[in-house]
Amino acid sequence: MKRLIAAVVLVLSVISFGAVRVGITQIVDHPALNAVFDGIVKALEDSGFKVGQDVIIDRQNAQGSMQNAVTIAKKFATEKVDFVVAIATPSAQACVQAISDRPVIFSAVTDPVGAGLIKQLGKNDSNVVGVSDMVPVATQLRLIKKIFPNAKKVGVIYNPGEANSVTLTNIAKSAAPSLEMTVVDIPGTSPSEMITALNSIGPNVDVLYIGTDNTAASSIEAIGSAALRLKKPIVAADIDIARGGGVVGFGFNYFQVGVETGQLLVALLKGAKASDLESHVVGPDSLVLYINLDIAKQLNVEIPSDLLERANIVVKDGKEVSK
Amino acid sequence: MIPIIEQGLLLSLAAMGVYISFRLVDLPDLTPDGSYVLGGAVAVVLLHSGHGWVFSTFIAVLAAGAAGAVVAFITTRFRINSLLASIMVMTGLYSLSIRVMNAPNLPVPKFDTGKIMSYEQIVGKTPLDDILGGSPSASFEASGLRAVKIPFTNLGDGHDLVIICAIVFLSIVVVSLFLRTEFGTMLRGYGRNRFAVKVLGVNPDLFAYVGLIMCNIFAGFSGALFSMYSGFADVNMGIGTVVVCLAAVILGEIVFGSHEPMYGVIFPIVGALLYQFLLTFAMKYGYRIGFKPSDMKLLTALFVVAVIAVRRFKKSEVTI
Repeated sequence: MKRLIAAVVLVLSVISFGAVRVGITQIVDHPALNAVFDGIVKALEDSGFKVGQDVIIDRQNAQGSMQNAVTIAKKFATEKVDFVVAIATPSAQACVQAISDRPVIFSAVTDPVGAGLIKQLGKNDSNVVGVSDMVPVATQLRLIKKIFPNAKKVGVIYNPGEANSVTLTNIAKSAAPSLEMTVVDIPGTSPSEMITALNSIGPNVDVLYIGTDNTAASSIEAIGSAALRLKKPIVAADIDIARGGGVVGFGFNYFQVGVETGQLLVALLKGAKASDLESHVVGPDSLVLYINLDIAKQLNVEIPSDLLERANIVVKDGKEVSK
Repeated sequence: MIPIIEQGLLLSLAAMGVYISFRLVDLPDLTPDGSYVLGGAVAVVLLHSGHGWVFSTFIAVLAAGAAGAVVAFITTRFRINSLLASIMVMTGLYSLSIRVMNAPNLPVPKFDTGKIMSYEQIVGKTPLDDILGGSPSASFEASGLRAVKIPFTNLGDGHDLVIICAIVFLSIVVVSLFLRTEFGTMLRGYGRNRFAVKVLGVNPDLFAYVGLIMCNIFAGFSGALFSMYSGFADVNMGIGTVVVCLAAVILGEIVFGSHEPMYGVIFPIVGALLYQFLLTFAMKYGYRIGFKPSDMKLLTALFVVAVIAVRRFKKSEVTI
């Protein structure tokens, strides 16, 4: 009841003071990043804010250009935007550099410390707070070990031009030795380069791993069929990538990243300070296990029964079943 | 308003480089897409290793100039079209810039950052731990970044604008003085008629070197300053630099309507400022009338073509 009253008071106060303006900037038009935006809107609406009425969103997209990202950040800095949300690393870096007098929320940044956005995860004494889309790489490698006990070489498909992918690959490299595995680079700066690298390096590895790489995500159908020809299973850190041709996926979907980002925004809208809130990685509750039994069958992969029981999404006979 | 001018002026340095290669020496050069990034990468890396911003920018400019020298070498030695040669160098610079930064993206941190850790080190547990057995074994730990001093405050109070204006003004003065010298005159002559300068007894290849090095020096200069201004260098930040600069050069020419090379160095400066205003305008109102973000590149291309077409009809002279 107390909560309800508080919410009513809040909504009334918001209405009486006029709408709050939120600037949302993202680096490029991309399904995962668009899902983050949708998640933010969902979180706002779940908390009782009417988008377009209580909260006016100014959505901007840098079309992949860093100069545009800076232009947008400066636009938010000079215009009357009360809160800024920046999706993906370059947009976030531009906003953090340009805006220091009001809260900036970053989202879908794998390594916010390495990107120079915040001092450390958790609370920071600054105007910046946000959600990292870091995935549990070491756990994913242990998952690979569990399903493929004989796997020695893990081929990591990634774009060396993407900061997030390079971070994940470095973590994989430092975690692999303790599992008696080695990481083999399968790099490509474009989808076609990736397929070429996969065809030439792929035969030498036991299993393929794909992190949250945008280039791999955009060409996952082609990568999936190339891997199938090579008879190599793909384990993905992103459920959408797993859907495109993976045997196993263990990660979260980007909508959830958006929802958690939106919850930070809601807290700020309700009067919290950015320095009161914690920057965090997407919570373990959002991690989803995906298993594709059809591809497993094609590749003669045995999925341990305890894993199969735990799976949230199972694909069998062409049908996807969610638990 | 101030940020638009600041960004326009930063861009104008690269536009000046593109003007030199496309217009003055008539050696179309696409390298700026790469040397812009190289300039940013070298500058940020040197900042991290404790050097001041002036020294870092200076070395960054030299590195970018070296890229121009490589293009000139390929063009003159192997008689490969400068456009083709520059595409090769631009492609190679992508890898080189990642090498320089040892990462695809490097920030200019405002403060000291802590340790970089893996998911398991931060969160501690994941839902599959009971099945997979044992504890998470990610031992990843990289040291964070040290705060770095940059010349820009990003407060939008005019401080940055003064610095940028001074830099651009100095560049204009240096370039115009250079073009007034005997050598500068010959350089312009080379752009008009490549074979005529042979009569003067100077090796024409020298002009190709000077022109292409100057072009990339300005691209690298622009990239280095933009990186410090925006707070990061990213290997993908150079994409489209040449097209945007070309748009700026052509815009500038429309405004002045003449081809006088003596004052030509001002064209790209004014053009870049105009371009930045148009871009901001399009971003602000374009979406409201139904543009999608992905349409902006098409608009830029159509805009450049339309402008060239208008010029052709008006003056019936070939400009590009």
